[in-house]
Amino acid sequence: MSKSGSMSPLEDQDKLLDEALSVVKVQALQMKRCLDKRKLMDALKHASTMLGELRTSLLSPKSYYELYMAICDELQHLEMYLLDEFQNGRKVTDLYELVQYAGNIIPRLYLLVTVGVVYIKTNEQSRRDILRDLVEMCRGVQHPLRGLFLRNYLLQCTRNLLPDLAESDPLATESYGNVRDAVDFIQLNFSEMNKLWVRMAYQGHSRDKERRERERQELRLLVGTNLVRLAQLDSVDVELYKKVVLPGILEQVVSCRDALAQEYLMECIIQVFPDEVHLDTLHTYLKACAELHTDVKVHVILVALVERLAAYGQRQQALGQPPIPPHIPLFDIFSDQIGNIAQARPEMPSENLVSLQVSLISLAFRCYPDQINLVDKVLESTLVALDKIAVEKVDFDSSLGKELNRLLRMPVSHYNSLVTLLQLPHFGQVLQRLDFNGRKSIALHLVNNALDNETHITTQEHVDAVLNMLAPLICDQPDQVLAGQDAEDFAEEQNLMARLIHLLAAEESDLDQQYRMLTSARKQFGAGGARRIPFTLPPLIYEAFKLARKYFDARQEDELWEKKCEKIFTFCHQCIAALVKAELAELPLRLFLQGALAASQIIFGTHETLAYEFISQAFTLYEEEISDSKAQFAALTLMAASLEKLDCFSEENSAPVRSKCALLASALLRKPDQCRALILVSNLFWSSTTKELEGKPMRDGKKVLECLRKAGKVATECLDPGVQAQLIVELVNAYVHFFHQGNQHITVTHINELISKVRQDLLPQLENSDEKELIERHLGASCEMLRHRRDNPSTTSDAPSYQGIVLD
Amino acid sequence: MLVLVLGDLHVPNRCNALPAKFKKLLVPGRIHHILCTGNLCSKETLDYLKTLASDVHIVRGDFDKISSTYPEQKVVTVGQFKIGLAHGHQIVPWGDPESLASLQRQLGVDILITGHTHKFEAYEHDGKFFINPGSATGAYNPINKFVIPSFVLMDIQSSTVVTYVYQLVDDEVKVERIEYKKN
Repeated sequence: MSKSGSMSPLEDQDKLLDEALSVVKVQALQMKRCLDKRKLMDALKHASTMLGELRTSLLSPKSYYELYMAICDELQHLEMYLLDEFQNGRKVTDLYELVQYAGNIIPRLYLLVTVGVVYIKTNEQSRRDILRDLVEMCRGVQHPLRGLFLRNYLLQCTRNLLPDLAESDPLATESYGNVRDAVDFIQLNFSEMNKLWVRMAYQGHSRDKERRERERQELRLLVGTNLVRLAQLDSVDVELYKKVVLPGILEQVVSCRDALAQEYLMECIIQVFPDEVHLDTLHTYLKACAELHTDVKVHVILVALVERLAAYGQRQQALGQPPIPPHIPLFDIFSDQIGNIAQARPEMPSENLVSLQVSLISLAFRCYPDQINLVDKVLESTLVALDKIAVEKVDFDSSLGKELNRLLRMPVSHYNSLVTLLQLPHFGQVLQRLDFNGRKSIALHLVNNALDNETHITTQEHVDAVLNMLAPLICDQPDQVLAGQDAEDFAEEQNLMARLIHLLAAEESDLDQQYRMLTSARKQFGAGGARRIPFTLPPLIYEAFKLARKYFDARQEDELWEKKCEKIFTFCHQCIAALVKAELAELPLRLFLQGALAASQIIFGTHETLAYEFISQAFTLYEEEISDSKAQFAALTLMAASLEKLDCFSEENSAPVRSKCALLASALLRKPDQCRALILVSNLFWSSTTKELEGKPMRDGKKVLECLRKAGKVATECLDPGVQAQLIVELVNAYVHFFHQGNQHITVTHINELISKVRQDLLPQLENSDEKELIERHLGASCEMLRHRRDNPSTTSDAPSYQGIVLD
Repeated sequence: MLVLVLGDLHVPNRCNALPAKFKKLLVPGRIHHILCTGNLCSKETLDYLKTLASDVHIVRGDFDKISSTYPEQKVVTVGQFKIGLAHGHQIVPWGDPESLASLQRQLGVDILITGHTHKFEAYEHDGKFFINPGSATGAYNPINKFVIPSFVLMDIQSSTVVTYVYQLVDDEVKVERIEYKKN
């Protein structure tokens, strides 16, 4: 072997290769010169010298290949010369013997192959015999690298010369040969090449094992080409393949007992021969798989085979054919085979087994799309495999966890229907074998899938089953590590669950089913605890409001509808109360207001009582739990505004609530808030209604004025003239609003006074600023409106008169 | 200049998502500004709006958190128009045109945009323009029985604004066109 000396091994190789190539160049030139002068013997001597370079042991496979290619190029000239001579009738006598004079076996054999090819091309002798001789002769070179390239030369030269004719073909004479002879030729060449290739593993020191393995990989195509050549024989029918070709290949593959060779060649067989033929020879192939060396990654081979056949099945379906011929129980064959392999190789890591299950599911989807039971069968086998390794919970980050993740995601993404998944009883069971992170990851995948596909869940049983699968998102799990999940991530997850709730939709007409679904969901989501219910209960509450409305709309068809509506509102009340218990205030207050509004619109026996209960709960929450000024103002605004719209109360019920609003308005901390709140509350005495009024607005002008007066007083208690000015301009607009709608307690004088207060008293106190500009503009716009109304009086008889408005 | 006006989505409490047919229409890169009346109500919804345009204005709705940074009102200038934006639950009575006009005067705007009622409106009043884009998701509203998903697209060119309202009726998108000229 090469010594390192002063150069690196790589530089060594380059130098050696260059030296060899220059010899080739020189000798080739000489050879061609001699051929030009028709001095054949001399030419052959030069050819022999050139071929002598291929006797080297010093070159790496890569370098040897380059040298080999250069020499093959040059040998072409020789071949063409000889062909030319023969075709022009100048037979070279005993050419065969002539080349035997080449001293060493390598040059001799390359020349013999070249001459043999010439004989075949010129029909000099029996094609069959020559081929047999050549393939046998090459046994003379037993050195792995040199032998491989020599036989490759033989294979390439005879590429189009093999007797590819059926035995019955009249042209397949004794002398010419038939396809059997072609097959025998290639198979012998293949066996010998494989043996050489395997022998490379044992050459040299054990410390070079890795390098040898790499070099062997570089040469694999040389061996594989034999299989390609077999596949290219047109006259090989299925019978011949089954009886002779495949068994021959498999015999060599199995008996060589070399993992590297087996892995490559088994996959080569799959790639090189057509799919129809694989279908017919499955048993044979799979039997061989079972006999492979333990180091061979059998699962990779099988996955490749299944993948190929699945793709074939899909293509057949697209062409309108049955995907797999019905007499081939493809799924069962593979299912059984995988079982066999699991048994024969107990040390195979379970993730490899699972990856086989993954490919089986893929096969089921693509070739047996209607048979959902097959998918469940795969899940069942997976469960059995997991039982064997007796692992409690599979770590999501492990290879096994990753494969299981892939496995479970497949039916989710394929069916795009949570409800279809429920038809796979073993899906949930396999899911339970993952650790918390795994179960959560799948749960998120399920929810997103349902949301993306708008999959409706239509029965209570389905709701329960689906929420069971989503347990990691719904409540704390025993194997969950509770420490610090990012709050934003948590909110995002819970928002997904909230959105999912809107997919709970029973058949249009089956309202009772919808109710059962909502109550069932409520139970499950309730277990989520205080952290989760702020996200998950509100959607349930709204779905319940919608359901109550539906019962009302369908009241002709259900005599029990009133009781049912009551039950629904009780349900909502209880949900909102749970949120209060979870220490929320602003959200439940708003939900109570929504409930009151919802109840007021659905007219059934106890709806007034319910609405009253809801609204008083809102007020209670306000008084007991809302202390922040900003929050108070916002809440009071909503309470008053909602009350204005509640038309179901009797006067007896609504009067105290109105008064309460006014009281609460006066009790706000900040004066500007008080002022504005009082203005808001004044509307309650004007446009709201009661049961007795039957929809007609209250129009209590006196009370309105009282509120506005109080608001004005509060405004004057604001020390800042800018704030006061702003409030009073708003007050002006409020006075005008009621005046315009016919409040006879309000006069033009009231309005004039306020305008004058701002203009003469407050604005002059202000420095020029943005604030002053805003107020002036607001006042200006208001006065513009008043001017227009004054100068263009309305023609309706009871319209208020703006005569007397002082604007300048 | 295209301005998207929408609000009251109420995701995830009342609705699960924007209607698919609306989503298909709202393609990023064509909209210059977004004016949102509030009640989104989730971060994911806000993030989605931000993918449609870089200039997004939102005001606080009654179901947006008090602690959120959204203001109660906003005034935005687009082209020649001063546009006021408020959710509308603060205006009592809800949806009352006179009360809305009051707010318009206070803000000093040409166009006032409010929501809350989940009912599309677009009308002129005293020479000013009032728009309510409705609920983009058709969210539940206890006192509005017939909520239809809707949103508005304003095309502002110098002193004219052409308002397109998109409504989802019987699962079909219907579009109407209203013009308003500033005087």
